[in-house]
Amino acid sequence: MTHSGPPRTRTGTWLLVAILLLVAVLGTLIVPIYARSSPYLGSFPFFYWYQLLWVPVTALLTTICYLITTKVARPAPDSQGGRAEPGAPVPAQPPTGHGEAL
Amino acid sequence: MSHINAVSFTILIVLFALVTCIGFAAVRWRRAEDSLHLNEWGLGGRGFGSFVTWFLLGGDLYTAYTFIAVPALVYGIGAAGFFTLSYTIMVYPIVFVFLPRLWSVARVHGYITPADFIHGRYGSRGLALAVAFTGILAVMPYIALQLVGIQAVLTVMGIGGSSTTGFVHDLPLIIAFLILAGYTFVSGLRAPALIAFIKDTLIYVMIIVAVIYIPIRVGGWGHIFSVADTHLKATNPKTGKPNGSLIEQPAGMWAYSTLALGSALALFMYPHNITGVFAANRRKVIRRNVAALPAYSLVLGLIALLGYMALAAPGVPAEVKAHDANAQLAVPFLFQRIFPSWFAGIGFAAIVIGALVPAAIMAIAAANLFARNIYKEYFRPNASAAEQTKASQWASIVVKLGALLFVLFVKQTYAIQFQLLGGIWIVQTFPAIVAGLYTRWFHRWALVIGWAVAMVFGTIAAYRLPAPGEPGTHFGASVDTLPVINHTIYIGLTGLVINLVISVVLTLVFRAVKLPGGRDETRPEHYVADPEPAAAEPVPVAAGAAGAAGVG
Repeated sequence: MTHSGPPRTRTGTWLLVAILLLVAVLGTLIVPIYARSSPYLGSFPFFYWYQLLWVPVTALLTTICYLITTKVARPAPDSQGGRAEPGAPVPAQPPTGHGEAL
Repeated sequence: MSHINAVSFTILIVLFALVTCIGFAAVRWRRAEDSLHLNEWGLGGRGFGSFVTWFLLGGDLYTAYTFIAVPALVYGIGAAGFFTLSYTIMVYPIVFVFLPRLWSVARVHGYITPADFIHGRYGSRGLALAVAFTGILAVMPYIALQLVGIQAVLTVMGIGGSSTTGFVHDLPLIIAFLILAGYTFVSGLRAPALIAFIKDTLIYVMIIVAVIYIPIRVGGWGHIFSVADTHLKATNPKTGKPNGSLIEQPAGMWAYSTLALGSALALFMYPHNITGVFAANRRKVIRRNVAALPAYSLVLGLIALLGYMALAAPGVPAEVKAHDANAQLAVPFLFQRIFPSWFAGIGFAAIVIGALVPAAIMAIAAANLFARNIYKEYFRPNASAAEQTKASQWASIVVKLGALLFVLFVKQTYAIQFQLLGGIWIVQTFPAIVAGLYTRWFHRWALVIGWAVAMVFGTIAAYRLPAPGEPGTHFGASVDTLPVINHTIYIGLTGLVINLVISVVLTLVFRAVKLPGGRDETRPEHYVADPEPAAAEPVPVAAGAAGAAGVG
């Protein structure tokens, strides 16, 4: 974490990202959630449509994580400014390390 | 099968010829000034933007294993085969965390292989060799499995494959592979990167048509699931138990989730997938692709369902049964029986090309490991970039020939068993690589010993497992009952836990006795760096960068 910025917001953001990613993983890791046949969707038992549905859900969750980590890590002037949170100062970033701090 | 369907065959040949031309022409794509550097041959100039990377990684991650082995598993045992969908779902949130760091440090230091990173991070030739060795070992049977996929298609088409008459029947496979070896040698990673566009397009077209057309032809999804249910409930004469189940049963849930998790952790430890990652031109390309790649998981889920469609399609189970009950043939037979022959040809081409792309990348990745971490490291320390590239080119040929010989002279089922073993092996490099992205706390020799013990454990544990209903056989499964918790667990994951425990304990010991830890050439900021590609590199960055600003 080489960036400046309000530590509380930053920690909160990473916590949010961690939770979203954890939800995405646990959604299919915990098999008892979905190892059942009902409710059916059309002819599809729950076991199948739940997992297929979880693909776009995971894509959505990782996309959200991508967007918020990009926003947090790049309030830099070159990223079409104005997207940073109002309170976030423009950080003085080291020249090589202007990526996201994941 | 004596007759060959001329239409299917012609379409397959035409598409194969097209792909061959593209493969050889790819050498001119984004041509570099210094084409003899391994960055060029082995990583396509490290210049691929989001779009190309999406196709390349998609073409790389989803292999003949996806198109043949996964539906074969579902065809045979039902719900338990669906762990593959769960695994390709959870892999992206997991790699979202560490893959950008791996890309950054590799870009800063010009690492070409995962073992290069290990060498730089831990200052340890031994640990780097262990990682390189594991990578080559794990990827070889994976290449062989691609050939098995091609062979399944050829068998169903009646042109070679499961031969009783030897060499002549294997000739199509040999020719296909020699051509593949040729354009990989010439064009390096650019060949599979370009061909991936065709591959992925064919796969998407094939699966969209299949999931709409096949259920209409065979009587709807309700019928498909009900036939599958009947088949899975039937008793398997070999084991005396049901074939499987339509819904995962409580007894199999631990195996299901540990297989999914273990495979997800293993996926981006495979050298060919890391090669695809290192070839990207910017850090955000990796991060965006992690969000965009699940589109392929949806395809995998639908492809898995082809297994059930094959059960419900008239004539397909009988054909499979007539061919030594080889479930690998289920999907090709499904295409042959249900599709008009021109579209069956497209489906066959999708599988064959779908096997060629990852096979090429795997061979390149294994060859890079050899050239960088064995040849240069141990035999020719002063090898120039050009010499390393030559070594890598020839190694790619050797790797491919090895896989070819393996498939020709060893029983097909062994390729699948070794591929399972490959997963158990490769996940043992996870602690060194992923922990290394965050901390230098682990001692290099603790990691080496943890790795070695887990490798031996995994191999022995898998050796002791007979195939279901075939006592006395070996490497028949990759899950085993863990005594203490009394659940069935993926051996790879058990090995990983053993690996981690040993690494932690020995690190404490080695640090206490002050064993030298090795020099670390990386610095914290390298792991978040996003260096502009050097001006000398032929990299059109503008498009990707502009797109990113829009998204961000």
